[in-house]
Amino acid sequence: MDRHDLKRIGEAAWEIPRAGAMRVPARIYATEEMLGDIFADQAPQQAANVAQLPGIVAASLAMPDMHWGYGFPIGGVAAFDLADGVISPGGVGYDINCGVRLMASNVTRAEAAPRLEDLVRALCARVPTGVGSSGAMEVGDAELRRIAVQGARWARARGLGDDDDLRHIEEGGCMPDADPDAVSEQAWKRARPQVATLGSGNHFLEVGYVDEVYDAAAANAFGLFPGQVTVMIHCGSRGFGHQICDDFLQTMDRAARKYGIALPDRQLACAPVGSPEGAQYLGAMRCAVNYAFANRQAIAHGVREVFASILSRESAAELRTVYEVAHNIAKIESHDVGGAARRLCVHRKGATRAFAGERPEIPDDYRAVGQPVLVPGDMGRCSYVLTGTARAMAETFGSACHGAGRRMSRKRAIKEARGRNIARELAGRGIVVLAHDRLTLSEEMPEAYKDVSQVVNACETAGLSRRTARIRPLGCIKG
Amino acid sequence: MCEGDSSRRPPWLAYLEHTADAGIEVRAASAAELYARAAWGMFSLLTDPARVRPAESWPVRVTAPDRETLMVRWLSALNVRHQTERRLFGAFEVQECSATELRATVRGEPFDPARHGLHGEIKAVTYHMLAVAETEGGWLARVLFDV
Repeated sequence: MDRHDLKRIGEAAWEIPRAGAMRVPARIYATEEMLGDIFADQAPQQAANVAQLPGIVAASLAMPDMHWGYGFPIGGVAAFDLADGVISPGGVGYDINCGVRLMASNVTRAEAAPRLEDLVRALCARVPTGVGSSGAMEVGDAELRRIAVQGARWARARGLGDDDDLRHIEEGGCMPDADPDAVSEQAWKRARPQVATLGSGNHFLEVGYVDEVYDAAAANAFGLFPGQVTVMIHCGSRGFGHQICDDFLQTMDRAARKYGIALPDRQLACAPVGSPEGAQYLGAMRCAVNYAFANRQAIAHGVREVFASILSRESAAELRTVYEVAHNIAKIESHDVGGAARRLCVHRKGATRAFAGERPEIPDDYRAVGQPVLVPGDMGRCSYVLTGTARAMAETFGSACHGAGRRMSRKRAIKEARGRNIARELAGRGIVVLAHDRLTLSEEMPEAYKDVSQVVNACETAGLSRRTARIRPLGCIKG
Repeated sequence: MCEGDSSRRPPWLAYLEHTADAGIEVRAASAAELYARAAWGMFSLLTDPARVRPAESWPVRVTAPDRETLMVRWLSALNVRHQTERRLFGAFEVQECSATELRATVRGEPFDPARHGLHGEIKAVTYHMLAVAETEGGWLARVLFDV
């Protein structure tokens, strides 16, 4: 597949017309100059493969940050009819409910500057990362099941947050109908030591500041102002979600054969949404979704405590949750399709829900402007807060991009960073960066990522979201 | 038996370049050696297996419907043990290896931050581009990891 297979349908929208076994077309949102990168891997073919799955509605969609994934492309959105459609673990990804929380303080960049390095070091000491770390929360079997059922509400009940936090998390921080009995022993085993840990790879904890406001009304509704210090937490459901995905890829491999579903790629393994296998996966997936909500809530609490000890108690009290989004998830949602309201199983894999203001799922205080869409970039450039639009509701089941997307393989990034000191380079730009190993900093250096501004511009040009504010990094902790 | 004796990459192991992830390609004379080397290759992404002392040993048995799935389950079993018990493995002896069953003894020790470097985590052993095959030149495996 190459660029010539695309039909232009808008300034930043392209269609792979329906052909062969495709049941619907595939639609890629990107500007023309982004197509070179997009066609550098197999992601467009993957979007076309998803269009072959039974019960897919309207189109197989790909956001401007699309890149190659397992089965489904990263940046993929696909909605399936509840009666004859499917659910696929590959459409959610290994890191179930990987997501982002944005917190805003009442401290300005200038006020925080003298303590910035202390703050980042204290956060690094407080928030455990991966296998090599210690200090994560001890939880027993019964409590682990409560986490899987209650999500961030579990953390709230333990005093690790408040009701205002819950109101500003997608799903209120707790997805109903989680089924702990659908989760394997192995997954519980992996979950136990990792509660409240950040993880590794592209997961991070970042202190930043609002450097530009584009939409004053939306920024005001979200409580954002220029110069304001912010915190962004990017992590997911850790080994728990990875294991649930792994377990159900095998279940779905058998189920696809059982239900006679032809798969163009083994990693697209799926089952009818209403089948016993589909229901089991949804129940288990929701456990991982809730685990990730609890995880980010517990980490956010730790961040608040560090702010309190390093800055002042007053500022910590106002380290407020702006919003938290999931970007690897499958949800049953109502959408208008061709003038009729339909219940659909919407898969977002490396894509963010971007609902417009009228939707009841959005917190009351944001209803006038739309849902905040949090789009982290790399540790050297910037991140964005966007707002959901009516156009996204009409075209993408209320979805937009989720990040920058990698440009370089990890191996190439390490090679290109050889002889350089990435931490020192970033320090020269006023950004304090800490990681548990030097290689991670090389892998995660800014040049290893695409420019998130380009991705966000494409989303805005396509009308899928509006820019609200830009955040620049001040300090970053990598797992 | 696979217990690499150097921190340098052995000639039978190649690291694959992939935009978002990490992968290995391993060659061996037999299926048993292939699975042992794949395990060594996987841990070499996380640490220097040559620095892991064979202080403890554990028997491992995995079954699967085919060789590819057997590879995923074998490596996943070791990765899960590494993550849940904070242990590193550096020596892998595969005693029996059919298309559907593998029996092995793995040796290693608890992770010690003072002696072991640890680079990131493997989220999952994937089926993407997965290959386990007997070729004219011997056995070949290709495995991609979600990291």
